[in-house]
Amino acid sequence: MCALHGMYRFADRTVSIDSVYDMVHAMCRDYAVDADRPDVVVRTTPVDIAFEESVSTDGIEYTDDYLETLAVYRKVAEAMPSFDTLLVHGSCVAVDGAGYLFCAPSGTGKSTHVRLLRELLGSRAHMVNDDKPLVGVFDTGAIVYGTPWDGKHHLSNNVSVRLRSICLIERALENRIRRAEAAEAYPRVLQQVYRPMNQGALARTLSLVDTLLALTDVWVLGCNMDRKAAELSFAAMSGRGAP
Amino acid sequence: MRLNANFLAHDTGNGWVLVPTGGTAFSGVVRGNKTFGEILKALSSEVDEAEIACRIRERFDAPEDVVELDVARALAELRRVGALDE
Repeated sequence: MCALHGMYRFADRTVSIDSVYDMVHAMCRDYAVDADRPDVVVRTTPVDIAFEESVSTDGIEYTDDYLETLAVYRKVAEAMPSFDTLLVHGSCVAVDGAGYLFCAPSGTGKSTHVRLLRELLGSRAHMVNDDKPLVGVFDTGAIVYGTPWDGKHHLSNNVSVRLRSICLIERALENRIRRAEAAEAYPRVLQQVYRPMNQGALARTLSLVDTLLALTDVWVLGCNMDRKAAELSFAAMSGRGAP
Repeated sequence: MRLNANFLAHDTGNGWVLVPTGGTAFSGVVRGNKTFGEILKALSSEVDEAEIACRIRERFDAPEDVVELDVARALAELRRVGALDE
């Protein structure tokens, strides 16, 4: 079988992808670059595709080309901690040049909340990534990068933004927001970070989460799905009051 | 007993977490306090339950029965997630 090849730029790193199917290249076309010295080399095989199928837990029968896109991102995510970068499950929106990253287990309402925020703020708000952005954790601050792995609504842009706040969302009847307590922030954020299978990369990931939390405000938002929730979260996280 | 090599313990500064690497059925995060951290540290080498309790009593000023209960609960949780080699 002949591999399909492409070069892409994710989180300021050049990634070479050799795949079995074309879907991943079509998905990543906005990130294509003309380069010949990759930082990360990804090659997928039918074994990788079979692995993704084996770990899928939602009962849906996915096509092999879709499963390969997951296999590619898994390999990217395994490599990224060595570049001080994490894959975070969350929805990130940029407002006035600052990134707000909303994290929660699937189905809690991250995407809905970010949609409400974008509707509230209009042209001030720009989608970074709605599902699986990369987050660079550097001494100078954390940077969120858009990626093509952007959730069921395919909301993302090939942009980066300095991360201002992380918001952990939980459903509630009444809207409320508070700063996360120190002891709860780490495990709750870690739950939403890709944890590499490689032990060295995992150890690096755990350390990067320490640094991420030292650099970033973490909030806990209990919310229903109305516009008031977005007004509340933005007022608190931006420190500027209601928009 | 000792901690399974497929798990990593990490001090967050405000508590401890234990996370699995690949090759384990458990894929979550176990969190705990400083006592839990001391138990994890004790399990970095071969040790038995009584010895762990003894180390915890040396480290923390707590009644013997409370320490023994804490250790038993922690070990039960570690067994549940497959983090102990026995």
